[in-house]
Amino acid sequence: MNELIKEFTTMFSFENVRWDAVWEATYETVYMTAIATAFTFIFGIVLGIILFLASKSEIKASKPIYGITAFLVNLFRAIPFIILIILLIPFTKVMMGTIMGPNGAIPALIIGSAPFYARLVEIGLKEIDKGVIEAAESMGADTWTIIWKVLLPESMPALISGITVTAIMLVGSTAIAGVIGAGGLGNLAYMVGFTRNQSDVTLVATIVILVIVFIIQIAGDFFSKTVDKR
Amino acid sequence: MIDIRNVTKIFKTKSTDIRAVDDVSMNVTQGEIFGVIGYSGAGKSTLIRLFNGLEMPSSGDVVIGADVISSMSKPALRKKRQKVSMIFQHFNLLWSRTVAENISFPLEIAGVPKKERQKKVKELVDLVGLAGREDNYPSQLSGGQKQRVGIARALSNEPNVLLCDEATSALDPETTDEVLDLLVKIRDEMNLTIVLITHEMHVIRKICDRAAVMENGRIVETGPVLKLFQNPEHSVTKRFVKDDINDEETALSFDEVRELFPTSKILKFGFVGSQSKAPIVSQIVKKYDLDLNILSGNIKRTNNESYGHLFVAIDVNDETLQKLEAELSDHDVTVEVEDQ
Repeated sequence: MNELIKEFTTMFSFENVRWDAVWEATYETVYMTAIATAFTFIFGIVLGIILFLASKSEIKASKPIYGITAFLVNLFRAIPFIILIILLIPFTKVMMGTIMGPNGAIPALIIGSAPFYARLVEIGLKEIDKGVIEAAESMGADTWTIIWKVLLPESMPALISGITVTAIMLVGSTAIAGVIGAGGLGNLAYMVGFTRNQSDVTLVATIVILVIVFIIQIAGDFFSKTVDKR
Repeated sequence: MIDIRNVTKIFKTKSTDIRAVDDVSMNVTQGEIFGVIGYSGAGKSTLIRLFNGLEMPSSGDVVIGADVISSMSKPALRKKRQKVSMIFQHFNLLWSRTVAENISFPLEIAGVPKKERQKKVKELVDLVGLAGREDNYPSQLSGGQKQRVGIARALSNEPNVLLCDEATSALDPETTDEVLDLLVKIRDEMNLTIVLITHEMHVIRKICDRAAVMENGRIVETGPVLKLFQNPEHSVTKRFVKDDINDEETALSFDEVRELFPTSKILKFGFVGSQSKAPIVSQIVKKYDLDLNILSGNIKRTNNESYGHLFVAIDVNDETLQKLEAELSDHDVTVEVEDQ
């Protein structure tokens, strides 16, 4: 009983917290999340559009394209993130020149989340009224015009709420990546909070992560609502 | 203007082939409003999509102006579609765009510069009576207003042909009439050729010059609208005409009359145009000294002529009835004995 009280006292004492380290870790987490979200957004939309167009197209060549894309998407979605980081070490080394620090985590973060987001994009695109696409075709629109002027704007609320979910998932992934040396709040919580048994540091890292997640959710909801004119 | 030659469209499914359009031939002349009517599943939606190449025929040719739609290259077809535009039952507006932006969309596709787009949009907004609503989103409009946007959008590239896919089926009767009036107005002002499909006979009656009746992928009857109404030949046409004129209440009251006057015959006089105004019936009544009980009557307007029906109960023997029929048919009035 006494031990428990002692633990709690440490946790809320904040005596071990070095605020400059918290700041740096927060910056690294935000940095990793922002870069990974931006690339995930682009790659996910490209993949999602390929999945959507290939699944509805009548052209023969589209079947293998859909098959291959869907296979890759499912494959990378199925690999647990911590294993994916390890698997990608050689690739990361070549791409980023390092496997440590925030930059070392970014390739794995993108490759882990883009397939997930691609599926969300595909679902969003499938919800577009078929009649609107048909109307654009009846006006003589080509595929590019349909992508830019119909598919993307008409699915924008779904694309935004999808990237919100994905970004929050990415915050979690950066924490996992932190444990094996990527920096950020996960790294802080593990290296300082856990290994040195400074639970007040862990608590601070958790609170900061929660704040980041809430901000992402609120911003995502706001933008999704703003673009939705339905 | 439009020539459909022996067009068949087969949809292959795993188990069977569906002949959605079956050996259809028809033509539409410049400036005409041509209607295709049929119950759902008759193949009319597929038929109208053959006109702008949204569906390609399995066999046969679709010719619009000088172009064979069914054998054009994709880029040429896309170009052609700017001149063969379409409006839809559910309007199919982009919710993410305002009224003005929706109308501007086909102009963007056609690569029209921004200045000209704005000018054209303004013209069209005025034409369809939506001035002041340019910056509204579709979700802020009523059904009728949405269809007006659809029409304005379809007109933005100054097409020669307008295809209407059940354009009024999602609208209430009053709004339907407004939209139909608008279609006639733009036909007259822009010298459009309009092809519309519908399952509502009054749409055909109100604005079409000619019409075709479709059943099971085939055109079973075609002709000028007045002729279809006056003298329908195929059973499907008869049903549509009957639906437009009779309602169930009339049929019910006939039953009552039969009960009250078992010896009476119920006759239906049909007349067209100028005869509808002459006092033929009263002349006949005097001449043959008949007791005549008027049950119901109506005069309907098609887009260029009126025609009407009169249901009467007369106690008359077969001999007089034949004389009566002969005399009336001299006046171009048709007589039918309603089934017991």
